[in-house]
Formats: sequence, C-alpha cells, structure tokens
Amino acid sequence: MAVAPLLIVSRVAGALLGGYAFVWGFTALLMAAALALGAEYHDAERLAFLLAFLVFLGAVLWAFAGSKLWRVWLVLAGGGAVMTGLAWALTRSLLQGVSE
Amino acid sequence: MLATFRLSMTWLHTWFGLVLGFVLMACFLFGSLSVFDREIDRWTIPETRYEPQPMPSFDKMLLPIFRDIQPDEVSYAQAQDQVQGTLPPREQLKPADFSAYTTHRDPVLSVYTTFDIPNKPKDAAVDHVHAYGYKTVDPRSGALISDDKLKIGSAFFYPLHYSLHLEWKEIGYWIVGLAALGMLIALVTGVIIHRKIFREFFTFRPKKQAQRSTLDLHNLTGVVALPFHFFFAFTGLVIFASIYLPVTETMFRAQHEAHEKQEEAETGLPLHPAGTAAPLASVDAMVQEAQRRWATRGMPGEVGFLQVTHVGDANSYVSVYRAGTDRVTLTGEGIHFRASNGEVILEDPPPSAVGGITDWLTGLHLQHFRHWLLRWFYVLGGLGGMRLYRHRIHLLRGEAQATTCEGG
Repeated sequence: MAVAPLLIVSRVAGALLGGYAFVWGFTALLMAAALALGAEYHDAERLAFLLAFLVFLGAVLWAFAGSKLWRVWLVLAGGGAVMTGLAWALTRSLLQGVSE
Repeated sequence: MLATFRLSMTWLHTWFGLVLGFVLMACFLFGSLSVFDREIDRWTIPETRYEPQPMPSFDKMLLPIFRDIQPDEVSYAQAQDQVQGTLPPREQLKPADFSAYTTHRDPVLSVYTTFDIPNKPKDAAVDHVHAYGYKTVDPRSGALISDDKLKIGSAFFYPLHYSLHLEWKEIGYWIVGLAALGMLIALVTGVIIHRKIFREFFTFRPKKQAQRSTLDLHNLTGVVALPFHFFFAFTGLVIFASIYLPVTETMFRAQHEAHEKQEEAETGLPLHPAGTAAPLASVDAMVQEAQRRWATRGMPGEVGFLQVTHVGDANSYVSVYRAGTDRVTLTGEGIHFRASNGEVILEDPPPSAVGGITDWLTGLHLQHFRHWLLRWFYVLGGLGGMRLYRHRIHLLRGEAQATTCEGG
C-alpha cells in the first residue's frame, strides 16, 4: 500500500469534492431537462434527488477503481462544471420562453 | 488507485469505514432509540404516561390555546438577528399559521404557532422571517404540559441521529450525510472484497483468536442486515436531499417561484394573505367532513396534522391531514377548506409516480405506520449496524499490529 500521501489526499478530494460537483451538475441538468420536457417542478426535483446519491456512490467507486488521477478530476469536476453550465443555459432559455 | 481493483476497494472499505464509523455508530444508536422516541419521552415526563389520544376538538379546546401562545424567546431572538430594525414586542406579533400534530403513539399533542415578522429581512434572498411558539397539550383536559421537561426521545435522540445537534451552518447534517455516503460505499466495497460472501456468512470461529471471531461477527451482521443498512443510509440522504443539494434555492429559484404561482392558480390555495380580516368557521365541522370523505374512499382514519394558514385573513384556509397509521407511504390525503365558510377548496390528488416512490421510501424510513414487530426489527437492525462498526473499529486496532487484514 505504498502510495504517496499527497496522491491519496488528491484522490479522496477528487472523489468527494469532484464527485459532489458531478452530482450537482447531474441534478441540475436532469431537472432542467425534465422541466424543458414539461415535467411538474417537484417531480423533476424528486426524480433528480432519488438518482443523485446513487450517482455519487458510483462516482466515488469509479474514482478509486483504477483510473488515472488526472482523469478522475477531469471527468468529475470538469464533467460537473460542464453539466452545470448546460443546465444553467437551459434554465435561462426556459425563463425566456415564459416571459415572451 | 492501488495495484489491483480489489486492493483499491479494500482500501476504500477500510478507511471510509474507519473514519466515518464513529459517526455512523452514533447515527445507528440514536436512530434505533428514535424508533421508540415517543415511548422514551414518557420516561422523562411521568405525568404523560397514559394512552395515546386522538386529535381533540379544535373549536373548544385548541383555538383558545392557540390564541394564548406567544413567540418562543429563543425563536424571537433568532428572528431579531435576521431582520433590520427592532422587532415589535413579543406579545404584539401577529399569528400567521396554527398547527397541531399527533401520531398513534402520542398521548400528548404538539401545537405550534408561526408568527409574522413585519421587519425586512437582512438577507435579500429571504422572503419572510418567522418566529415560532410551541406548547404541549394533554388532549384529555386541554391542560398544558410544562415545557421545562425535555422530551428526550423526540427532541434529543431523534434530531441527534440526523443532525448531531450541530446546528451551525447545518454542519451536523453534512457530517451525517457524508457518513451515510460512506456507509453506501462501505457496503458496496464490502460485497466486492468479500468474494466468498456466502461461505464467510456461515463461518464462525469462537475458539480462534479474538480478531478472527470478531471478523466473523462483522461478516455475519454486515451481510444479514445489508439491505436494511443500505436502505436507511440511502433514504436518509433522500430525505435531506434539499439540504445537500440546494438547487431550488439557487439555480432554480425563478422556476420554483413560477411553479408556486402556477400551483396557486391550479389549487386555489392562496400563497399570501389578502390583508382583510375574516372570521373562522367551525374547524370541527371541517374535520368531520374530511373524515367522511376519507371514509368514502375506503380509508377511514384519525387526523394526524391540522393546520390553519393565514390565520384571521380572508385568504385563510384549513388543511386536514390523515394520520398514516395504516400505510407505509407518507401521504396525508390532505383536504383543504376555506376557513371563513368551511367549503372544500381542494382534495390532494394522488401522488405522481415519482412522488409515490419518494413518499413510500420516506415512509418506510420514518415509520409513522402501526407495526410493532417491524418497529422492533428496526431497533435490532440499527443495533446490528452498531455492532458492525464496533467490530470494524476493533479489527482495525488489531490490524496495526498484525498483518493487513485482507478481506476484512
């Protein structure tokens, strides 16, 4: 088990913080997509909440399963940022649809 | 991370289990005690040791009590911290909502009043600040139970198991949430690393050295209650999901507000008071009507939760919810009445598919339904979870001296 402590810290942080960012992005994007398809607000929210923690579990397991450290950060934190951005753009366009 | 997939999973199982195990032990112990929180309350408040009581008459007993309730001093001080300027004196705050709550295990009734705060909130993102006042009622006589005795089950053990009583920035909820995620991780990695799970399950070597038999017990409790532990950790996360993922207050604020307005239009339940005074019709008659309507749907039952919203206003309405004693799912089949004349505004529609799943999972965790045998199984499962971690921690202490415990 001789792995440099810093690498372990980075992987734990990547799994938990990166995982959180990924789950946030997943939740936001799923909700935005469901709303865009006409789902009721709390249905969209509850569907996302039911899946979010299973996604988190999967993300942490994957982060430790053997992937390269930079890839863990890229996929989880980067993926989370991309999904959050997409969700934000989608909610903006939905709002414009309402105000027009 | 490590040389092989299994070694990585073992590392994850060992370290997440060890670091978060202490928190999980507290959650399991106090969660197990919470299964009987109402009964434990009776231990600290001897004058409440009598049979559970149904919801008493609102018109005769509860309304005068509600009229007398004043904002709690702590709640008043908290409200003062959150708003600009000085609050009006405590006794001059106007009540906004009255609520009464009981269950099939409660001899006493909890009532509380929400008070409007006229001051502007300091935080622009906050719409309204409220103060609260609480009382505990003996439903047989209408006498108030003194508030100086701690409801040690429902007010101490129960919140401890999900918030650790660390209220600052809701940090306790986050620690418990991380521990619950750790539990899910430990369960999945546990199954991966104990490849011969079936054989290990039937292995017990009490004569071997302490570490071996401890591991055997760990495997036994871990496997037998695995679905139970996965369920409670997972549903705990789902119940507090809006704390862990506050999307509604942030990214989806505008969507949520639009939804509330749309819902108001569809249901006819006013979001805000009209500003003109109106009398309150007989709430007892509304309760009777609600019970009649439940009975026609084949689910006669007692009232679990009663609420008057926008008290004294022309927009005021009364919501009557059923005590979910006879079903797992946590729905109240709410029926809402116009407060001024008692006409029905809305019967809650059946939940959607997603809503139904969430209500069922939440209901099975919170167990508001009547099933004493299952209630005891919950305690056993919870204490089993504690054993699991005791062995895990005990094991790791030994591990420091011994070789690495592969598969442990």
